[in-house]
Amino acid sequence: MSLVDLRDVVKRYGPLTVLDGVSLSVEKGEIIAIIGRSGSGKSTLLRCVNGLEPIQGGAVTFAGTVVNDPGTDLRKLRQQVGIVFQSFNLFPHLSVERNITLAPTVVKGMDRRAARELARTVLRKVGLEEKIDAYPDRLSGGQQQRVAIARSLAMSPQLMLFDEITSALDPELVGEVLKVLEEMAADGMTMMLVTHEMGFARKVASRVVFMHQGKVWEQGPAAQTLARPRTPELETFLSAVLH
Amino acid sequence: MIRELAFIDVLYLIAAMRWTLALTAIAFAGGAVVGLSVALLRVSPVAPLRWLAMLYVHAVQGTPLLAWLFVFFFGLSIVGITVSPWIAAAAAYSIYAGAFLGEIWRGCLQSIPRTQWEAGASLGLSFTEQLRHVIIPQAVRVAIPPTVGFLVQLIKNTSLAAVIGFVELTREGQLTTATTFRPFSVYLIVAALYFALCFPLTRWSRRLEGRLHVAR
Ligand SMILES: Nc1ncnc2c1ncn2[C@@H]1O[C@H](COP(=O)(O)OP(=O)(O)OP(=O)(O)O)[C@@H](O)[C@H]1O
Ligand SMILES: [Mg+2]
Repeated sequence: MSLVDLRDVVKRYGPLTVLDGVSLSVEKGEIIAIIGRSGSGKSTLLRCVNGLEPIQGGAVTFAGTVVNDPGTDLRKLRQQVGIVFQSFNLFPHLSVERNITLAPTVVKGMDRRAARELARTVLRKVGLEEKIDAYPDRLSGGQQQRVAIARSLAMSPQLMLFDEITSALDPELVGEVLKVLEEMAADGMTMMLVTHEMGFARKVASRVVFMHQGKVWEQGPAAQTLARPRTPELETFLSAVLH
Repeated sequence: MIRELAFIDVLYLIAAMRWTLALTAIAFAGGAVVGLSVALLRVSPVAPLRWLAMLYVHAVQGTPLLAWLFVFFFGLSIVGITVSPWIAAAAAYSIYAGAFLGEIWRGCLQSIPRTQWEAGASLGLSFTEQLRHVIIPQAVRVAIPPTVGFLVQLIKNTSLAAVIGFVELTREGQLTTATTFRPFSVYLIVAALYFALCFPLTRWSRRLEGRLHVAR
């Protein structure tokens, strides 16, 4: 059984159909890079996987649980699916430690001391242990994004979703965030990431999914798909982003 | 009987301030309870609850406070229920302040970006946990200046309670004017006393705002 399974997913905003019958399966340990033009529905696709967006047709399944079933406990689901956003979305009124430990203590009932240890552990993974007592507005963009990743990791998710997490960063800060992703990939984390970093997608992703007009237009092994696109739309897209 | 404005009159005016303060405290406490409920209902995911709260706010904001005081004091006694002026004032002011504070606090809750709710939801926090740990702590900071602003209005509006028999600051001023016939001096003193109550509040709000901002 696949970890994630989307079947003919339809998502509409009023008259606008954003996902128009998307089917996609992700196996445990896979790293899926989702690429495509602005507005092609990449973010929406990710947000359907953790139930942030209700869908109008089809089915989204995570580890056997139907996400779009009204009876599904989304809180349980979201403890197993981490998501990191382009704009970090750290809690500005909480220290780095509290940003990370809030969900483990509140949702999982972990005690504060154990949670602080956990915060140290995940901060070490993103190389920011010394920032445990800092507040988000004292951190650079790259550091904030690494804290956001650590915050997700603290819930020990089975799947991580990343939505253009380097797009809001100054170019010189992109590398430190991508490095964290590479290490997570090496640890065997299952990831779905929307990205404009084609070089990174080629190097780290096991599969590339090209979204176009609300559909999975083309997909395949990363290196091969990026080097030899089969559809003219992907070819056009690649030549636009690469040149 | 007309007599001179004496020092004792000033003392009486100062003493009358305690009713102004007591009424303000009751109105604010009652208003805070009602207002918090209204604000939370207004951001609730359940649409009928939002409509109900909105209806309440519109109804109260569209009617004068004086009318509520009359309803609770004279209105109820007509139908045979006698209420003390304190109960009537507490009820009327809670209803009134609740609607305004509810609107103010709803605005503060909604000023926190939707992405903060989403970040909380994505970590598995429930609606109430998102409110309690993520949204409200940030909204409180935003809420301080307009809340204190409303409190200052409330202090001044307690003078309306004179119609149901409270001799608070403004009413005491009227009475003093009637016996001394020195409206200008008397109301100048009354104004100065209101100012003495309101000005420190505004100052304190500024300080608190600054402190919360630094301390995060
Ligand atoms: N809440 C919303 N209400 C209405 N339309 C929306 C909403 N969110 C997204 N859309 C629309 O859905 C379409 C797909 O949006 P989405 O954010 O998924 O695109 P994307 O591929 O992530 O684009 P980008 O690369 O710019 O992030 C866009 O046309 C967008 O305007
Ligand atoms: Mg997007």
